[in-house]
Amino acid sequence: MNEKKVLEIKNLVKNYGTKGFHTTVLKGIDLEIRRNEFIAVMGPSGSGKTTLLNLLSTIDKPTQGLILLDGQDITRIPNKELSKLRRDKIGFIFQDYNLLDTMTLQDNIALPLSLNGVSGRACIAKAKELGEMFGLKGHLDKYPYQLSGGQKQRGAACRALITDPEIIFADEPTGALDSRSSKDLLECLKMVNDSGRATILMVTHDAFSASYAKDVYILNDGQISCRLSKGADRKEFYDRITDMQASMGGDFS
Amino acid sequence: MSMMKLALQNFKSSFKSYLAIMISLAFTILVFLNFQNLIYSDIFEGLGGKNKEYIDILIQVISFVLGCFMFFFLWYATNVFLTKRKKEIGIYVFMGLTNQKIGRMYMIETTMIGISSVVLGIGFGLLTTWLFQMILLAISDITVDISFRVSLTPVLVTIAVYLVMYLIFVIKGYVNIVRSSVLEMVSAARHNEYVRQNTFFLMIKTVLGLCVLFSGYYLAIKEGGQEVMGNVFAAVVLVVIGVYLLFGGFIPALFQWFARKKEFLYQKERNLWINNVIFRMKKNYRTYAMTCVLMLCSVTALATGFAMKVRYEGMVHFRNTYTYQILSSQAGLDEKVQSLIEKDNSISYAAEAAILNLDPSLFDTRFQYSSYSVLSWSQIKTLAKETGMEFELEEPGDDEIIQVSRLHLLSLLTDRSNEKVCINGKTYRQTVETNTPYLGYLQEQISFYMVNDAEYEKLKPLGTELYTYNYRIEDIYNFAASRDELDTIVSDADDNYTAKVVIDPNSSEIEWIKVLYTVCIFMFMVFILASGSILFMKLYNDAFEEKERYQILKKLGIAGKTLKKSLSHELLTAYALPFLVMMLSAYFSVHALEKMMYTSLLVIYLGSVGVIFVFFLICYLLSVSVYAKNAGVEK
Repeated sequence: MNEKKVLEIKNLVKNYGTKGFHTTVLKGIDLEIRRNEFIAVMGPSGSGKTTLLNLLSTIDKPTQGLILLDGQDITRIPNKELSKLRRDKIGFIFQDYNLLDTMTLQDNIALPLSLNGVSGRACIAKAKELGEMFGLKGHLDKYPYQLSGGQKQRGAACRALITDPEIIFADEPTGALDSRSSKDLLECLKMVNDSGRATILMVTHDAFSASYAKDVYILNDGQISCRLSKGADRKEFYDRITDMQASMGGDFS
Repeated sequence: MSMMKLALQNFKSSFKSYLAIMISLAFTILVFLNFQNLIYSDIFEGLGGKNKEYIDILIQVISFVLGCFMFFFLWYATNVFLTKRKKEIGIYVFMGLTNQKIGRMYMIETTMIGISSVVLGIGFGLLTTWLFQMILLAISDITVDISFRVSLTPVLVTIAVYLVMYLIFVIKGYVNIVRSSVLEMVSAARHNEYVRQNTFFLMIKTVLGLCVLFSGYYLAIKEGGQEVMGNVFAAVVLVVIGVYLLFGGFIPALFQWFARKKEFLYQKERNLWINNVIFRMKKNYRTYAMTCVLMLCSVTALATGFAMKVRYEGMVHFRNTYTYQILSSQAGLDEKVQSLIEKDNSISYAAEAAILNLDPSLFDTRFQYSSYSVLSWSQIKTLAKETGMEFELEEPGDDEIIQVSRLHLLSLLTDRSNEKVCINGKTYRQTVETNTPYLGYLQEQISFYMVNDAEYEKLKPLGTELYTYNYRIEDIYNFAASRDELDTIVSDADDNYTAKVVIDPNSSEIEWIKVLYTVCIFMFMVFILASGSILFMKLYNDAFEEKERYQILKKLGIAGKTLKKSLSHELLTAYALPFLVMMLSAYFSVHALEKMMYTSLLVIYLGSVGVIFVFFLICYLLSVSVYAKNAGVEK
């Protein structure tokens, strides 16, 4: 655990609503993510998962608290630098892929890098390398409508990885996939994490997906209620997560 | 009732997004009404002669062109309503409405749009008729008293024409809705498949398009005799087809080729906008081609008008070379005539020359004229010297001849080399054709051929020699003063035939050309405005479809500034491509006109292209900011 801290959250609070009608969604969250960790945040509906991710990805501003990304407090930097920070330090994977249907998969993957002004040759090399790693070699010239959901999501993962971000936020990445495609995607994510190429924060309600992470945080009613760490075996970890879910009750979806 | 209510609500809520189209429709109605009003008004009555007749024909033609334009514009506009509405209509299907009912709702809604634009168009049209007539007359430089009077007929004609066309398209839309399936309706706005077009077909289109376009260009500027008319017509058709194929083939092929060159593609925003251009091209290429053709028409119209005006001025100048021309069988009248004129006027220059009048049956030329005369080279040279006209003609050889002709408003013969003229069995080769007004107005009435002095002497026995005495006075507007004195020498006797020509500089015989010129300028502006607004509207609508994509890009953390840069490249392509193709095509069409009208039109070409450039630049800048707002890139 001597790796550099990538993300540090201190006493994060988020209120919604106007005066007199406050709803506190996040009630003081503390979290630390170090380089090369793979964390899953789980929780039932309304526990604040999406809010947390919105705050982390700078789409929303917290009511109180600090979010330090690579040592920088992202809640207090001006908008102009914010977009630069999002561009350079964060990679996103969404539930609904969000690939652009106007361009080929390879163009989609290369887009963030080419927008950063990296040379064409480097973009091609990296897009191809990642595509191959994610088993998309034969599909790079296809358009999103020609691909299956799993292929699209793996493509989206490549796009998130291409800029070598400090951290990847994955929002229910398997939410729209069948179990086979989910497994392929998670294996891929695990592989890039294992090879030391990515730090991942995944939000999910699915125990199976969560079992691919190294650590699982359970978010409940705006607070982190417990943390589970993977042992040697993924299956055993999966059982522990489902047991935990069962003991907490509530609606995990 | 509830159907009516729903349609009304739809109309209200979409009023803002339809406003641009409604204003454009109203504008076409306004223009159409103004021209119709000209036909039924009596402002050109005062010009007299053939003028009113020609102007009426001219306005009828323009009305027809405007009518065609209106037709296509309506087609386009109603299509926009249909596709935009179809997406929402899908929702009503799920609510349990039948296709017929939805179709009826669509009809009510579009009828409201149609009627609003009629009201707008007729209203503003009536307000502007007076202004329009004033401007028309002012630019035409015609003085006629006009009274502000609007008759009902043009208003009714305009409304009828518009409503009939509109009805056709509304019914077409209705049928389209009734016949469509639920699935199709829901996904009407989601046809994002086939981003890339089949390269093979594109290549065929490209090759075909380039061949057609360049053969059109070639035909337009090819010199020729009587076949020029056919060539010009073929060129127009070929260029229009070529432009369509170019936008449907060559340009998408080019961009797809860019997209395949990944090293080229992955340069900053290029990846984004080139892919977007390819995606849009499939849907928009007709629009681009249409605006291109429209602009081409407008530049050609302007150049025609300008050339006509230049020719007109040339003709007036030509005619006014001499104020008085005496044609007589008697030699040596010079001093007598001069003294008659000098009683009331002072002479600015004078010259005399003999002409040899030959019977037309002796001539064999390509065209049969009613009277022919032969001139001698040295006499005309002297005449030119006395009047100060240029004379750079080489003395023709024994078998050579020079045609001394009039100025034509327009000539379809662009190739006049190797013309042969046969006089009394001897064939001469025509070396040059000059239209310097050596013999002024007479040149418009008689076809003159110039030969060398020896040939002239040889031909002399074949015809009768007449003498021309030509005078220009200082104050050409005082031409009437000497008329009665000159009448004293006019005679019709067999042994003494003397005739006179008096030129009135105020003659309004061909005033209609001035109106033509103004109308051409006007058409230019209308077409330019139309093509700019068509592109603007197209992009305005496209922006809403792009919203989702830009939302994704924003989610990925891409800065608004970068997105704006990308979209401004994309829009630049949309404006620049039709502009560039127009610029190239217009060069050829203007060049063809130059040849037919014997007028240099380079300035007009550059000027009109410049005007379009500025107008498009404004449209482009407006588009970028509106697009950014509509697509959600900027708040």
